Amino acid sequence: MTVKSDVQISPKHRSLWQRMRRYRLAYLLILPTFIAMMSVHFIPTVLAIYMSFLDLNQYTLGKFLHAPFVGLKNYRMIFGANNVLTAGLQYAARNTILYAIAVNIGTIGVGLILALLLNREFRWRGLARTLMLLPWVVPTYVVGMLWGMMWLRDRGIINIILVDWLHLLPQKPFWLIGRNTLLAIIIPTIWRQLPFNTIMLLSGLQQVPQDLMDAAAIDGASAFQRFRYVMIPYLKPIIAIILLWGMIFTFFGYNIVIMMFGNGGGFPGEWGDLLMPAIERQSFRYWLFGLGAAVSVLMMLAMMFFVWLWYMVFRTSLLQESAKEE
Amino acid sequence: MVRKVWVVLSLLLIATLVLGACAQPTPKVVKETVVVTKEVEKVVTKEVQKVITKEVEKVVTKEVKVVATPTPVPEEPITLKVWIMPNGPDPLGAMQEEAKEFQKLHPNVTVEVEVLDWGAAWPKITTAATSGEGPDISQLGTTWTASIAAMGALRPFTKDEIAAMGGPDNFVEASWKTCNPVGSGFTVAVPWFVDTRAVLYRKDLYKKAGVDPNTAFDTWETFDAALAKLKEAKEKGLINAYPIGFPGKNDWNVLHNFAPWVWEAGGDLLNPGNTAAVFNSPEAIKGVKFYASLYTKGYTPPDVLELNSAQVEGLFINGEIATIISGPWMVKGARTPNDKGGWADSEAAKNLGAHEIPAGPAGRYTFVGGSNLTVWNSSKHPEMAVEFVKFLVSKDSQIRYSSNIGMLPAVKAALADPTFSEDPLYSVFVSAVEHGKSYPAIPAWGAIENVMVKALGALWDDVAGVNGPFDPDTMIPARLNQAKQEVDALLAVGGGQ
Repeated sequence: MTVKSDVQISPKHRSLWQRMRRYRLAYLLILPTFIAMMSVHFIPTVLAIYMSFLDLNQYTLGKFLHAPFVGLKNYRMIFGANNVLTAGLQYAARNTILYAIAVNIGTIGVGLILALLLNREFRWRGLARTLMLLPWVVPTYVVGMLWGMMWLRDRGIINIILVDWLHLLPQKPFWLIGRNTLLAIIIPTIWRQLPFNTIMLLSGLQQVPQDLMDAAAIDGASAFQRFRYVMIPYLKPIIAIILLWGMIFTFFGYNIVIMMFGNGGGFPGEWGDLLMPAIERQSFRYWLFGLGAAVSVLMMLAMMFFVWLWYMVFRTSLLQESAKEE
Repeated sequence: MVRKVWVVLSLLLIATLVLGACAQPTPKVVKETVVVTKEVEKVVTKEVQKVITKEVEKVVTKEVKVVATPTPVPEEPITLKVWIMPNGPDPLGAMQEEAKEFQKLHPNVTVEVEVLDWGAAWPKITTAATSGEGPDISQLGTTWTASIAAMGALRPFTKDEIAAMGGPDNFVEASWKTCNPVGSGFTVAVPWFVDTRAVLYRKDLYKKAGVDPNTAFDTWETFDAALAKLKEAKEKGLINAYPIGFPGKNDWNVLHNFAPWVWEAGGDLLNPGNTAAVFNSPEAIKGVKFYASLYTKGYTPPDVLELNSAQVEGLFINGEIATIISGPWMVKGARTPNDKGGWADSEAAKNLGAHEIPAGPAGRYTFVGGSNLTVWNSSKHPEMAVEFVKFLVSKDSQIRYSSNIGMLPAVKAALADPTFSEDPLYSVFVSAVEHGKSYPAIPAWGAIENVMVKALGALWDDVAGVNGPFDPDTMIPARLNQAKQEVDALLAVGGGQ
């Protein structure tokens, strides 16, 4: 009897307390996760925000949260016109934006092509799909080290292939010095992220009903039209997810750059520095923890803005997706 | 009531002791006995103060006798936690060897060695310093010591403890300086081993090119002329190696590579009071300019600036460069067989020569770094930790450990040992130590070094022509002035602390 009434009254119309009682077990079950998430995510975030208002440096670190409160001083330092301690962050910001755009266009674009290829019937398809996954199992810091060796001008395999074997370039360029460094970090990142995107897109493609494609073909839709108007709508939610994930991954990119340039010791140069390595160097290695917290908070806000933007763009397709599942 | 319990306990103990003594003296049994005796002793001394029955007293004296016969002076077991960095080819093995020797003197001590990677060590040590849960003993790079000490994590050594280790004069001066943070009045560390730089060259290639190594390293001018001659020889096909090689920006050692040239030109990094940077002085710029000119004059392989130290060492070992400025570990490598990770079979090892860095207008200076030993405030057994440090700076341990890891001892008596002072190659490094200079021991140094790595790294990019053709007269001062502002700002953070 009670069960029946429960079904009839939708959860929305009950008080919070009723719902709590109704789902007591469920809440109990998620409690450990909730506590863990609070302690590893929420509390550090709040602490970081508080730290960004403190003058926390190597001399006051012992006091930690009792360090002198300086209000917005750290933020003023970041936006101050001639602040020497934040010099170089603008290069890092420019590189990060270029890096994020290039890597995401690259991974989603090439990933889509590869997914379309792997979606076809061919003899070694299973093997090809497995091989495709390989770069993904390489940890990012190993990617940085490996490519750091491959990019070497005179003894790296890349110049040997490009110049000695294929004669694509007249002479061997430097990849780890100068403007090319940006390419030298973008390409390995695409290589590393491609498998994930390909697999995700492939799974999306397999949701496209074959009869829908057949029907479109019978109606006279060209191959491109079938791709554009039948496949893409199915892929949109997946593109949304991998774009979000890719933006976060690139925005907070660290390992590949750090390992490629001196295994954490050197300076990646004005065209190779990203925001995360720059922040780590110029706040944490300079022992300016308050400043570091302030920059981190700003990065978090920037990322939240992007997520909001992302949600506005993809809201309709995401809602359609959840509607479809219901 | 309480008294009764103690009597019963003591009797029980005697029973176990006697049984233990009768049984085969396996180490385990002995150890157990040791622990228990100690406890009883403690209890008794406490009780004695409160005046207890003579019976128990008697029991105790008897019992101590029993123990004293099978094992010498039993002590409670102590575990020392020691953090070290990856020193030498076998970091753990080399340290365990020292621990084993120490255990011969103190059988009750177990040394727990943890090897931290240099990269991971910085955050881990910082965290330990702030949380107050550190090891008993840790190795700290000479440039880190003052920074960690400023966080109040290190237990200063007393005058008596230092005297027991031979006093300040027992240690290499440049290293000793790094153990006494400027203005603190404390000795927070003890030098452990020394890392210094000298020129290593290929005797055979120098001979083929007609360069006399006895004069080549006298001054900057003779050095420049020698490299020019080697370059000519390469162009003529007499030798198949570039004159010299050194890493660019992708490396930890960026500042260590530049600093000697700055000092030799009469410049310095910070002013005498350590309140402002002076590495943009005309003298310092002269030194930087000279070092950079070795690349622009074409003495190095063209791709050398994208390599790191290990890769440049590889070039030397493979015979692709005739000269390298490196540390004592190269000597160790040259004498270690190839199947054990060395390169003794190479031509480079068979024709290895060493000389001090060429003297500049203001004299001969080389970089002295290395590592110090520190005892942490969080240590539960500070006396024993100091005892272990004392052991590690004893002459025997110094000679053994330094030669195992390919560094130099920090203790003068060990440096003077024939192992180093009479060795044709090591002796060069030993005399280089005498011309050694270390960085100022101030808390902000860790940060300053990072600024310098960035500024000089960017300068190497300028040298490579990233921002148009390299103009040393404008580009070097520009980078150094910018770095000076940054360093001055960092020095101001601590209010000149």
